Amino acid sequence: MTSSPWFRRFAFAYGPAFAILYVTALKLDFALFTVYPTIGVVLPGTHHSRDIVAPSMGSSLPAMYWYGWTATAALGALMFALVAAQLPERWTRRLWSGWLWVIPALAMPGCVYLTLPWFRL
Amino acid sequence: MSRGTAHLATALLIIHGLVAVALLGAITHQALAAWAPARGRPDSFFGRFRAVPCASYANAIVILYAVSTLLGGTVYLNFRVDIRPDLERVGHWQALGLFDLKEHFVAIGLALLPAYWVCWSQPLADEPVRTRDILTLILAFIVWWSFLVGHVLNNIMGFGL
Repeated sequence: MTSSPWFRRFAFAYGPAFAILYVTALKLDFALFTVYPTIGVVLPGTHHSRDIVAPSMGSSLPAMYWYGWTATAALGALMFALVAAQLPERWTRRLWSGWLWVIPALAMPGCVYLTLPWFRL
Repeated sequence: MSRGTAHLATALLIIHGLVAVALLGAITHQALAAWAPARGRPDSFFGRFRAVPCASYANAIVILYAVSTLLGGTVYLNFRVDIRPDLERVGHWQALGLFDLKEHFVAIGLALLPAYWVCWSQPLADEPVRTRDILTLILAFIVWWSFLVGHVLNNIMGFGL
């Protein structure tokens, strides 16, 4: 199997773009859709249980956002990477390849920071 | 949860665990071979562990990571409905935080797979080898984190914590 220059540019843009968009989606609580597994319902956008049912019923209607956050980041990164893949190679070769790992490596502590509330309970 | 659904979820969780073991082995072999390659003829277990052709693991790692994420994403529904409420009831907030981190890291790692595969399958002559090695290290960290946190969550009630 071999990879074309187009796919190389796409792949190198997709990973870092996803990492940035994932942390952004997490911070802004922007899920493309919300899953309610107990009733088998998927609603477009971000919905919290308290928006759907009375607060006392919130715990019996758990909402899942991870799929939605991932979809948000995946869709955004896909669009970014498709554009990046069209750029001439002489432009993209000037970019430092280290961004490929620096951005995800920075996004991970970003996720840790946004998860800290769990550790303060 | 019906009996059939419970059996299916258990079967998927076991398969998820087995795939994760294979992935853990493959990524650890590759990461160690990339960062601490064996010199000369290896004569110890650790030396032989590192004396593997790194690039040959890339395809397997991409497939195992994707399959493991797919299985994990499927049983996650059962976890959210049947397991997490019990963990919340007994106040395992830190464990749930660690699990949230696992979700986040796995998603970031999944998006890195195309670039990781390109780096290993068709390295360019002028491309720094370190980029590829660091990507491997990041994926290895994610896989180890996910494996350990997954097992802690799986067994936490049995730990008596």
